[in-house]
Amino acid sequence: MNIQKVISGFFFILAMTTNFGFFYGNPANIEYHSGYELFAAIVVNLIATILKLGDKTQLGSVLLATSLVADIQLVGAATVWALAVYVFGGLDLEATVAIISMSGGALLANIVSVLLFIGDTLKSKR
Amino acid sequence: MESNSVWIIIHRMRIPLLVIIITFAISILGLTLIPGQDDKGNPYYMTFFDAFYFVSYMATTIGFGEAPYTFTYPQRLWVSACIYLTVIGWFYGIGNIVALIQDKKLARELSIARFRSKVRKLGEPFIIVLGYNNVTKEIINRLSNEGIRTVVVDKDEEKVEEIELENFIPEVPAIAADTTKPHTLKLAGIHQKNCQGVVVLFEDDIKNAKIALMCKLLNKRIDIIVKSTTKENTEHLRNIGIRHIENPFKIISDRLYFEIAAPYIWLLEMWIFGHILRIRKREFLPKGKYIICGAGRMGKALAEGLERAGIEYVFVDINSEEYKQRKQSAIYGDGEDIKILLQAGITEASCIIAATKDDMINLTILSTAKKLNPAIYTIGRENALEDISIFKSARIDKIYILERILAKYTYNFIARPLANKFIRLIHQKDNRWAMNTVGKLSATIGQNPLLFEITITEESAYALTKELQKGTKITLEVLKRSRANWRKKNKILFLLYENQEGERRTTLLMPEDSIEVKVGCSLLIACDEEAKEDFEYIINNYYELYYVLTGQEQTVGLVGQLLPKSA
Repeated sequence: MNIQKVISGFFFILAMTTNFGFFYGNPANIEYHSGYELFAAIVVNLIATILKLGDKTQLGSVLLATSLVADIQLVGAATVWALAVYVFGGLDLEATVAIISMSGGALLANIVSVLLFIGDTLKSKR
Repeated sequence: MESNSVWIIIHRMRIPLLVIIITFAISILGLTLIPGQDDKGNPYYMTFFDAFYFVSYMATTIGFGEAPYTFTYPQRLWVSACIYLTVIGWFYGIGNIVALIQDKKLARELSIARFRSKVRKLGEPFIIVLGYNNVTKEIINRLSNEGIRTVVVDKDEEKVEEIELENFIPEVPAIAADTTKPHTLKLAGIHQKNCQGVVVLFEDDIKNAKIALMCKLLNKRIDIIVKSTTKENTEHLRNIGIRHIENPFKIISDRLYFEIAAPYIWLLEMWIFGHILRIRKREFLPKGKYIICGAGRMGKALAEGLERAGIEYVFVDINSEEYKQRKQSAIYGDGEDIKILLQAGITEASCIIAATKDDMINLTILSTAKKLNPAIYTIGRENALEDISIFKSARIDKIYILERILAKYTYNFIARPLANKFIRLIHQKDNRWAMNTVGKLSATIGQNPLLFEITITEESAYALTKELQKGTKITLEVLKRSRANWRKKNKILFLLYENQEGERRTTLLMPEDSIEVKVGCSLLIACDEEAKEDFEYIINNYYELYYVLTGQEQTVGLVGQLLPKSA
């Protein structure tokens, strides 16, 4: 067992699951989506990104790219939320849908990342 | 991302970034969970944005105060914990960045990256010079004057700094790296299209051979100029196909031989290197008995030259290192030394050569010799280029500086290939031929002719190439004509003509006037200032060429056709 693999695998998959937890539910109703869940998703995604830094291989670069995509989308979602509440005076339907769909995009990137990670692990002989 | 510097930064920043993210996350989460009180006393929870905003300025110690409302005690309790958590995390991150800036490994990677980009940006042809010292410095200076760029690799960091302080114009990219590694040579651009050659002039023959072989394997096309002082090593280098091998001792040996046996060949060679076209009286070497002090590589090479010239000589074996050890002094000439010199026959000898590795010993040998025999001709070897003035003021008749000779030959090979060939060819001629040539040169041009070489191409000789491509036959004689009056000749002489046609290469020493100029042929030319200007006008300007060809002005356009033609 490789302790480094355990840690990185843990964060990659946790990034995906927290992302899913936020995304799941009626996209038109913000009540079904917890802000804490989004916060957790962002933090875990950032940590996953840092863990992916510094891997010079081809696979490492693609993994890093997926993580960066997820980061941008999740931070984007949080920014839209903050803007809607504090600048445009309340969360309307459009903003809600935008937040959820952005997190959906991030989820897709996270799924790709996890798939790549699993594929690489299966290929490894050790 | 091919540069290693980026990876070093990323790698070193991982942990600090992780620490910052985690401490921020904990603080933000805590703040959103702890209930607060707004200005009207109602309970309220901080939003993520409020918490993020607050933690951002708290962690960076900017501290705008408690926002959006004054904190309650539970909040303050949490914040005081957070302050220590985040501020420490933040400073740890900053500290890491500062350490990174001072990191030697990173600085090295950055300097490599800078060097690489400088080498890549070189548009002109360039030469890689390995090792920076007095010899290569002179080569670099001379090449810079010719517009040939250089790239320097030296294993010593200090030397590289010296180059930076030297402020060569144009800039000479330099890097400190192990010159015996292929990686270093690749870094210096040996694979680049405009890399023309590598100069390898280290003291150590084996090192030179190793590097030369490596260069040959890395890039077959380039010229490799390598120093080799022994026969076996030279043989070995020739076998791997290296054309230009420099042996400073062989050069010295040849020089001494020609100076005695064929002084005019020597004069022609020296003239190529910048000597005036006349042998000064004190430059004629005596033909009596010679004493060579120091039987090292230099001494043996000189002896070889003397033997070829049929001159009698004796060795006085002085090993400079051993001498200094034994006598605890670098001043030659105590009672014992004088006895040795007298035994060697200093009183009836006509010339003494001090050829040891130590300048001080060389100087004192010669001054002692002069005391014993005031009429003796003195030749000294000078090792360090810096204190040349001492030697000059010591009134030594002739000074050999190996380093300078090496530098001049290398420069010649790179920048003036025809002049180099000319020297090789005249070595096969006899003294009378050389004397006639010198006579011809000084009769036509004077005692200080300019020397330059040119290859006839569209770039260097536009009008001439166009005219030749039309099928016009132009002889060398035409190129000698004056721009002012086509029937008169300029002060110009062609020394060497070379033309490559397919496999056949024609090389003519002192070509006849009737030789036809071809596109792509190269010429070595001696002339005066005015003739050079005329020559360059004639080959580049169509109207001037037309005039010297026909003696008539070329008429152009409407104005030309309307005006009456005049001769």
